[in-house]
Amino acid sequence: MQHIKVSLISLIGLIFTLHAEPYQLGHGVSVNDALNVGGYFSSELESNHQSNSFTLDDVAVMAYGDINPMFSYLAELEAVGFYHKNFSDGSEESHKKFHAERIYGDLWMADSINVRFGKQITPIGYWNLEPINVLRDTTSNPLYSMLLFPKFLTGLDLNGYVPQTQGVRYHLFGQHNRDLDEEYINIPNSHFFGLALENEISMEWSSSGSIGEYITKTNQRTRFIQAGTKYDDTQWQFLAEGLIAKSEYPEQAQTYAFSGYAQAMYRYTQEHAVISRFEYFNDHHTDYKDTIFILGYSYRPWYPVSLKGEYQWHSQNDENRALFSLSVLF
Amino acid sequence: MKPILVFLTLCSMLFGAQYSIIISKKVSVSTVTREQIRDIFLQKRHTLGDLKIIPLNLVGQEPSRIAFENAVLGMDRDRLNAYWVKQHFQGNSPPITQPSHESIKAFVQNVEGAIGYVPSSMADSSVKVIYEF
Repeated sequence: MQHIKVSLISLIGLIFTLHAEPYQLGHGVSVNDALNVGGYFSSELESNHQSNSFTLDDVAVMAYGDINPMFSYLAELEAVGFYHKNFSDGSEESHKKFHAERIYGDLWMADSINVRFGKQITPIGYWNLEPINVLRDTTSNPLYSMLLFPKFLTGLDLNGYVPQTQGVRYHLFGQHNRDLDEEYINIPNSHFFGLALENEISMEWSSSGSIGEYITKTNQRTRFIQAGTKYDDTQWQFLAEGLIAKSEYPEQAQTYAFSGYAQAMYRYTQEHAVISRFEYFNDHHTDYKDTIFILGYSYRPWYPVSLKGEYQWHSQNDENRALFSLSVLF
Repeated sequence: MKPILVFLTLCSMLFGAQYSIIISKKVSVSTVTREQIRDIFLQKRHTLGDLKIIPLNLVGQEPSRIAFENAVLGMDRDRLNAYWVKQHFQGNSPPITQPSHESIKAFVQNVEGAIGYVPSSMADSSVKVIYEF
C-alpha cells in the first residue's frame, strides 16, 4: 500500500508539472482517456461544551479513467484525521497513513447493464453518494448517513437504466466477504445485499428508495428500508431522506431504529447560500435519541472551494456545537 | 399570400434553428429527443439504440456552446461547472472537445457514433441532422 501511495503521489506531481492543457480547479487533470487525477482535502474547526479543536481531516488523492470503451476504473487513497489539535488540553494527534477509500472497476455493457466491482460507495440515497466535505452544503453529516447502513461496499453492483423508462436507474448490489481495508468502514460486515431505485422525474426533481440487509461482525442482522427525494434548481434545494431499520441480535430481542432529515438551502447568489436542516434519530438498541436543528452558511468563491459555518442545536443540549470548515477539490 | 410567405420566411430566418446536432449518415437513428441528447452530453447515457455514442463539445465558451448548454442541456455555466465537479469525484469526465465546428463536422463524418453541434448552415448532405435548436 505504501508503494502505491508513493507512486500515485509522484505521478500526480509529474502530471501537474508536465501537463500543458489549462487546468480548471475541481475538474482534476486529464492526462488522457485512461488517466485523470485529482484529490481533495478538508479542515474543520469545532467548538462545543467540552473543547475547541482543529482538524485537517480528509486528505485524498484519486485517479480514474477509461481503459477501453467498455472498462473503466477509479482508485482513491485517503488519510482521515491527518492532523488534529485540541486547543482546550493542548493535545495533538496525527494519522498520516493513507488507506484505500475506493478501488473499483466498471464493466459497461449497455446503458441498462453496468457492473461495478471492488470497494465502492454504497449506492443508497443522496447524501451517501456525495460524502466529502467540499461537495456537501454543511460541514456535518446527518446521523442517518453514518450510523444505520454501511457507507461502503466491497462487492458487486449491477446498475443501469431500467429499459423502456426515461430516467429510472437501478442498483442491485451485494457483498459476501470482508471489506477491503476496514480502516474507515462505519459498519464492518461480511454480508450486505440491497436494491436501490432512483427516478429522475425532471432535471430538478428526483426521488429514490432502497431496501437492504447486512450482518455485522458481531452477528447483528439488520434489514432496512430507505426513501428520499431531492429538488434542486438554481436557487433552491430541498432534500429529505428517511430510514427504518430492524435489527436482530444473538440472544436479544429485536429492536428498531428510525432516522430522517429534511434540509432546505437558498442560494441568494452563486457563491452564497443559507442552509437549515432538521434531523431526527432514534436507535432503540443503543438507546440514543436526538433531535437536531442546524442553521448554516456556505460560501463558495469557486464551486470546488467551500467555506462553511454552522451551529447545531441538539435535544441533548450538551451536544450543541459550532463547526467551521474549509475544503477544496482539485 | 406573397407578403405572408415573405413574413414567414423572415420569421424563419430570424427565429429559426441556428444550430444543428449532427451524426454520421451511416447511423440509422433519424431523430432524438432533447432529453436523450442531454443525457448523452452529461455522460449519463452512452448509447442511441445499440450504437455507442461519442459526444463532442466545442472548446472554450463560443456562442454555439453557450447556446447548446442553455437550450439543450438546460443548464447555465455555473450549474454545469458544479455538475462536472461532482462528476469528477465520481470518476466521470466531460465530453471531449474539438477546436472548431469544422473539426466537429469532420469527426462526425469519419467516426460512426460521434455526435456534435454545428451552425445549421454547415449541416449539408455529408452528415445527418437529428435535432435543431
